[in-house]
Amino acid sequence: MMEAGRSHFWHSDGRQLSGLSTLLLLLPFFAIIAFVFVYPILQLLVISVLEPHPTLDNYARVVENPVHMRVLMRTLWTATLVTALSVVLGFPVAYYMSRAKGTVAALVAVCVILPLWSSVLVRTAAWSFLFQRNGLINSALMALGLTSEPFKLLYTQSAVVIAMAHVLLPFMILPIYGALRSIPNDYGRAAAVLGATRLRTFLEVILPLSLPGVVSGSLLVFLTALGFFITPALLGSPQEMMISTLVSKQIREVLDWPFAAALVGVLTVFVTLLAIVFSKTLRFDRLMGNAS
Amino acid sequence: MNIASARQSATGASIRISRLEKRFGAVSAVDGVDIDIAAGEFVALLGPSGSGKTTILMSVAGFEFPTSGTIHVDSEDLTYVPSNRRNLGMVFQNYTLFPHLSILDNVAFPLKMRGLRTAERHARAEAALATVRLAGYGHRRPNELSGGQQQRVALARAIVYQPRVLLMDEPLSALDKNLREDMQLEIKRLHAELGITVIFVTHDQSEALTMADRIAVLRDGKIQQIGPARQLYERPTNLFTAGFIGEMNFVDVAVQSVGDDISVALPWGETWRLPATAAVERLAAGEAAVLAVRPERLQLGAGSPGQVVTVTLSDIVYAGSALLLIGRLPDGTEMRARIPGASQLSSLAPGDVASFTIPTEAMLLYRGKR
Repeated sequence: MMEAGRSHFWHSDGRQLSGLSTLLLLLPFFAIIAFVFVYPILQLLVISVLEPHPTLDNYARVVENPVHMRVLMRTLWTATLVTALSVVLGFPVAYYMSRAKGTVAALVAVCVILPLWSSVLVRTAAWSFLFQRNGLINSALMALGLTSEPFKLLYTQSAVVIAMAHVLLPFMILPIYGALRSIPNDYGRAAAVLGATRLRTFLEVILPLSLPGVVSGSLLVFLTALGFFITPALLGSPQEMMISTLVSKQIREVLDWPFAAALVGVLTVFVTLLAIVFSKTLRFDRLMGNAS
Repeated sequence: MNIASARQSATGASIRISRLEKRFGAVSAVDGVDIDIAAGEFVALLGPSGSGKTTILMSVAGFEFPTSGTIHVDSEDLTYVPSNRRNLGMVFQNYTLFPHLSILDNVAFPLKMRGLRTAERHARAEAALATVRLAGYGHRRPNELSGGQQQRVALARAIVYQPRVLLMDEPLSALDKNLREDMQLEIKRLHAELGITVIFVTHDQSEALTMADRIAVLRDGKIQQIGPARQLYERPTNLFTAGFIGEMNFVDVAVQSVGDDISVALPWGETWRLPATAAVERLAAGEAAVLAVRPERLQLGAGSPGQVVTVTLSDIVYAGSALLLIGRLPDGTEMRARIPGASQLSSLAPGDVASFTIPTEAMLLYRGKR
């Protein structure tokens, strides 16, 4: 974990960089963040309360309309399912990665990271191919005699959850892997010699110490899932919209910018609240102690 | 449960390691090791890194299964029993306290694994903390304790379930010198109090010499010598142990005759007659041999019966309790002498030629070359 406290840059010979040089090095990054992220978001939030005239009507429309609230709730629920599925699928992979050595370790790492190098669109398209009425999954199920009729897979909530979990899996695996790797081997040995079975060693020592990784992976996946657009749009049912699709509709079809801005505002509030709750309830520093 | 009854019931077990071998591919980490350890004995495994001492300990702990050979504790064959069913205590080099648990829960962990109820395991953990003089630290977190305190907690955790054997893997090497000496005494005290059998792995020979009843010196997976500290130091049984334990001067000699006494030719042309007891290994006339002498056995000037050598001094090092004189024998072989009572020797200077007496009983002869 990062050492808390004052952060500086150093010259290659070990001398500390002056305050001005440090500022100049950091400025481009923060300038871009301010320009492409902070400014547009603020602008949107301003639009949401000032247009067509200073009012909170746009927010009232979000909250009062049960259809919109249902979209918001569905989005939160979908993100929750995606996160849960990613933990279940990702933890064993991360655990294996942290124990593997040599070629096997490299191979697993490549399998985890390789999908990150292909676009979300490609990976989503691949799923729509698999989920088709006469796609690979339905053909296989019918060939095995498990069903006589093809299932409706494409354009369902399940398809969205599965595909999103797949797309976001690396963001779950890598933080958990990092947490597991920082647990010294001797902890497992110590637990064993003290009388713990493998299962209890895992439950009482390994799992608690990997929790910071699980939490940060879950935060990453959950927050990203909330704003996911391409996958729900391509694989989801039009009747079961998620919030990003709704925002996009308002902007591109209805041309109702203030209302879209209010939707974004509500989502932003949710995300901020969640981030605060997580960081307050889980004291990572205390949890990790001197594990490093 | 009180501490007194815990002490009475916890007595050490005997350990028998027979024909132990561990190969990693083509490499033999442990190569046919036999050690018999009596109940309550304190045995140190001493050797350079790669000598196999840690692998032996890992096999006893059950983290490694040997390629062949057996490990018995009190005549029970534990060779292939998993670690968690061996009921041994172990202290690791890096404390290995679980950082997410309080000190008390760390010490109570093995009791929890044995199914004890919370109240009892906390009472016993508290008692164990008291035996390592850390009573009242239970509510703290491991990272709130110093290294020495953490290692004492690890010690408490290793003895709280009254194992009959305590394994220690370089437990003091992460501590600074003063703390290390305190902990050495602490461990000795616990060993005496509990009567537990201890196997202690270290690469620090002074630690092994001061702590252990017996020391096994290892090299390349084989035991070079096993015995009490005095025996190891006074009469090492081979050239490796002679060089590994403490400081030693070596001079190459040629054996001329072996009889009631042994005559050897020194490289600068002298011939010395040494008593037959000087030969640690069997020698034959015509063979090469090595004469070994501890630096602190050399005496300045002529004195007790022995052989006199002349040394051209190159360095004179003040080392507190003694003066270390480094010089060369007539043939160029280095010779070191540690002379106590340094103040009277202030007249010596580098370049001086000094004569030393090597007492007869201080000389040991080994086969081979240095």
